Amino acid sequence: MDTKRFVFILSCFIYCFVGESVINAQNSDAPKPLSNTHYIKNCFLVKQPGVILSGQNIIIKDGFISDIGPNLKIPYDAQILVADSMYVYAGFIDGYSNTGITKPEQKDRPKISDPGNPPNDIAGITPQILSDENYKPNEKSVTDMRTAGFGLSHVAPRGMMLPGQSSIFLLGEGNTDEMILKSGYAQNFQFETTRGVYPSTLIGIMAKLRDLYHNATIAGQHEEKFLKNPIGLARPNYNKELKSLYPITTKKQPLYIVAQKTKDVHKALLLKDELGFELVLTEVKQGWHYIEQIKQQNIPVFLSLDLPGQDKKTPEKDGKEGEKKDSLKTEIKEVKKENIDPEKKDYDAKKAAVVKEYLAQAANFEKNGINFGFSFLNSKASDIKKTIKKLIDNGLSENGALGALTTNPAKILGLSHLLGTVEKGKIANLTITDKSYFDEKSVIKFVFVDGKKYDYSEKPRKQKDGKTDHKMIGLWSYEVEIPGASRKGKINIKKDGSDFKITVKDDTSSNEDIATDINVDGSKLSFSIMASLSTPMKVDFSLEFDDKNYTGNVNVASFGTFPIKGGYDGDPKLNF
Amino acid sequence: MLRYILLIIILLPKDILSQNILIKNGTILTVTNGVKENTDVLIINGKIAKIDINLNAPDGTRIINANNQYVMPGIIDAHSHIALDVINEATSPVTAEVNVGDVLDPMDVAIYRALAGGVTISHAMHGSANAIGGQCETIKHRFGTTNPDDLRMQGAPRTIKFALGENPIRVHGEGSKISPNTRMGVEQIFRNAFSQAQIYMKEWDDYKKGINKTSPEYSLRNETIADILKGDIIIHCHSYRADEILMLMRVLKDFGIKKICFQHVNEGFKVAPELAAFGASASVFADWWAYKFEVYYSTAFNAAILTRNGVVTSINSDSEELIRHLYHEAAKTQRYGNLTDDEALALITINPAKQLGIDNRVGSIEVGKDGDIAIFSQHPLSIFTIPQMTIVDGIVKFDIKNDDADMRIDINPNETYSSFYENQRHHESQGCMHGLEELLMEDSYAKFMRYKYSKNHSH
Repeated sequence: MDTKRFVFILSCFIYCFVGESVINAQNSDAPKPLSNTHYIKNCFLVKQPGVILSGQNIIIKDGFISDIGPNLKIPYDAQILVADSMYVYAGFIDGYSNTGITKPEQKDRPKISDPGNPPNDIAGITPQILSDENYKPNEKSVTDMRTAGFGLSHVAPRGMMLPGQSSIFLLGEGNTDEMILKSGYAQNFQFETTRGVYPSTLIGIMAKLRDLYHNATIAGQHEEKFLKNPIGLARPNYNKELKSLYPITTKKQPLYIVAQKTKDVHKALLLKDELGFELVLTEVKQGWHYIEQIKQQNIPVFLSLDLPGQDKKTPEKDGKEGEKKDSLKTEIKEVKKENIDPEKKDYDAKKAAVVKEYLAQAANFEKNGINFGFSFLNSKASDIKKTIKKLIDNGLSENGALGALTTNPAKILGLSHLLGTVEKGKIANLTITDKSYFDEKSVIKFVFVDGKKYDYSEKPRKQKDGKTDHKMIGLWSYEVEIPGASRKGKINIKKDGSDFKITVKDDTSSNEDIATDINVDGSKLSFSIMASLSTPMKVDFSLEFDDKNYTGNVNVASFGTFPIKGGYDGDPKLNF
Repeated sequence: MLRYILLIIILLPKDILSQNILIKNGTILTVTNGVKENTDVLIINGKIAKIDINLNAPDGTRIINANNQYVMPGIIDAHSHIALDVINEATSPVTAEVNVGDVLDPMDVAIYRALAGGVTISHAMHGSANAIGGQCETIKHRFGTTNPDDLRMQGAPRTIKFALGENPIRVHGEGSKISPNTRMGVEQIFRNAFSQAQIYMKEWDDYKKGINKTSPEYSLRNETIADILKGDIIIHCHSYRADEILMLMRVLKDFGIKKICFQHVNEGFKVAPELAAFGASASVFADWWAYKFEVYYSTAFNAAILTRNGVVTSINSDSEELIRHLYHEAAKTQRYGNLTDDEALALITINPAKQLGIDNRVGSIEVGKDGDIAIFSQHPLSIFTIPQMTIVDGIVKFDIKNDDADMRIDINPNETYSSFYENQRHHESQGCMHGLEELLMEDSYAKFMRYKYSKNHSH
């Protein structure tokens, strides 16, 4: 009795001092779950690709799958999920992406006095950085991936040539550290250069990587020798970049190379042959020329889901908008038909054949018995299912696709003992659909991440809070701060029934660009335009309104993100 | 045994499997051994096997009738930038460590266009932005492959690009406000680089001998310059003015370096005896000059003067357009300098082969050499000649009778218009200073905005 009372008083004290901060760290909107035990009742269980069991029940306890079977005793504290006719898959695994890492704002680069000798960070050489430092579990990209059925991401930092070390994250809510499954899992390299400083080109980064690799090998060996017996040896220099590269020279860390096109794949294989590190090819879009070599050397691969011939826009949600877009499309097509010349026709035929090659790549890899997963550096979470359907239409088997989403990435990432299949003892990452995932009409109903349930069974309705969104209606000025070349213009926001209509007109242009992908969330507004440049370029706006002013960001495809601000300029023009 | 042979054949890249070819009744311009009328050339397994009258071919040999046609060795271009994705790493005056062999583009349609001009080998070079630029790659025009390695001429000696004069001064001195800012500065860049490499070699020697226990730092740049000092790499130096050419020869003499080919070398005619005495070779334009200040003092007699002074001379293109008619360029030396047919043909065959260190394998029609052949409708030095067929390693790579309208290998699947125009844009500036437009611009966004402005104005 005494002890119990003592514990009670102690816990009160602890609560007073610590409790508040703990509570603040939690997401205040989410009530604490009653229990961490779940009972999924009567489902089709897809244990692994090709193995489907019916009438199964699953018990999840403290983040793990604690039991599976047709006849289980329901734990007294379990939340019951009736999954009649639902399909339960192992949570999907994102093999490589920047999920959870916000794009850094474009900053003016400090003046470099000698472009041949820039500081490492400016040259894009930051192998010491961990993606843990910048990962945000509440970033939109995390929720987007989770909504698409993913429970785990292998996240690389954003950057240039050597952006840093990637870590593996569970895609749950909570603080970053809690979500890390494996920190500093891999080192990363990409064929991305910083303009104007060494190495500024492909030939530069190839040479620079060789140089760094050899020096890391030498420095690592020297340090080891010094630790054993320092007599007669110089004290090792501390060099954080080289030190971070030791593990790839000793094969304790794999080196992921982002190799999108055929020549990138060739370069990656060339570097591996030359330097001898453990290579993983990732974001591969055009790798089929090297299938033999990849197979012989048993190189793990993540294929990109950014495929050509895709409609990059999000699927139309309501019929009205869709019809209008379609009619516009057919109009354009009709105009073009008249002007078609034979050269264009030949070109189109050739191009169609090329697109087909890209779409058939996954099937081709499957046929050759190569284990591959998918990577998502350049693709949208909401397009994933549609894209996978395209791969299946082009010869990939459903089991192959499921393997690429679950068992294969688990194996490549060295996590087969924890994830990838639905088995007793594994981490409770599950994706639950109403029909087979590969059925065109299937919908993801629930996603479990680390034993925590995320419910998508009721589609979130578009927030249409009249009180806030009417404040956005109007003609607004804008100013985009692009270093040395700021842009000004007007944004016209009006409402047509319940739908927003937004057009953007630059002061230097006579064209108005019509916005798509309009999303309103409280006082936040985001939309996209295709700016009419020499090649049409997608520009994403995300704005936050505050009475008569707003601020935000503009993201111009591949050029970066720039701040935007503006103010109210009167009623909307109606004749846009 | 049979299975083993089959296995070897299967493992060979498709392209390397060459056909046996018998070229019948042509006028053979051997370049090194005179002209042979009505003669046959037999190519077996990619090599020239026999040159004689009335040859019999083994079964399965492809017979090519060259009656009334001229058969010459495949043309070699000692200075080109085709088939490359990057030409300049222009951020430092010394970049010996970079290698354009890393960025070969086998899909570049310029390779096919060069084949259509009888060119079978080109020297894919780094640009001239830096005093010591990058290493170059001697490539065979094996068009039709997607693998960059298939282009390499295996076993060809290593080469490196140097540059004198205005280009390195403009890029680094004026552009980045660092050395070299003058022609004197360029000389000092070379001397410093060679001296540093000597120190580097000594440090590593001391370490290897056990004099020093601590390993020196590795430097791919110094490794490469050390290989130049050891004579393992041939220098190809962009140059115009006579004073600078003499300067570089003095520097090389001081460091004991012998292998040098001067490129462009427009004032070579002024120092031809000195070049010959040094053993330097020269690769020139037939008649191209006045495109910048240091290139005004020039003459179309340059190649002839150099040749007659005993300098091994070649005529190059430095352009994906000129590369298609190097035979015209060579013919100009007959108008300006009265070179003989053999001398003029040597400028685009055996001489560039010598400058690249591959003259034992290509550059003339001799038994044992590679089956690299160009067939012309008339004498290749005639203005009326038309290339008919080009053969690389015994494989027909261009045939005027079977010349498809669209020879592109790789089409960008995301492009909305024909990537032919995209290629045009890319190639407009495919020369020595390629890649610098962007570097010299203060701000890349300015370019993006200019695009937008120009678009709006044109509407």
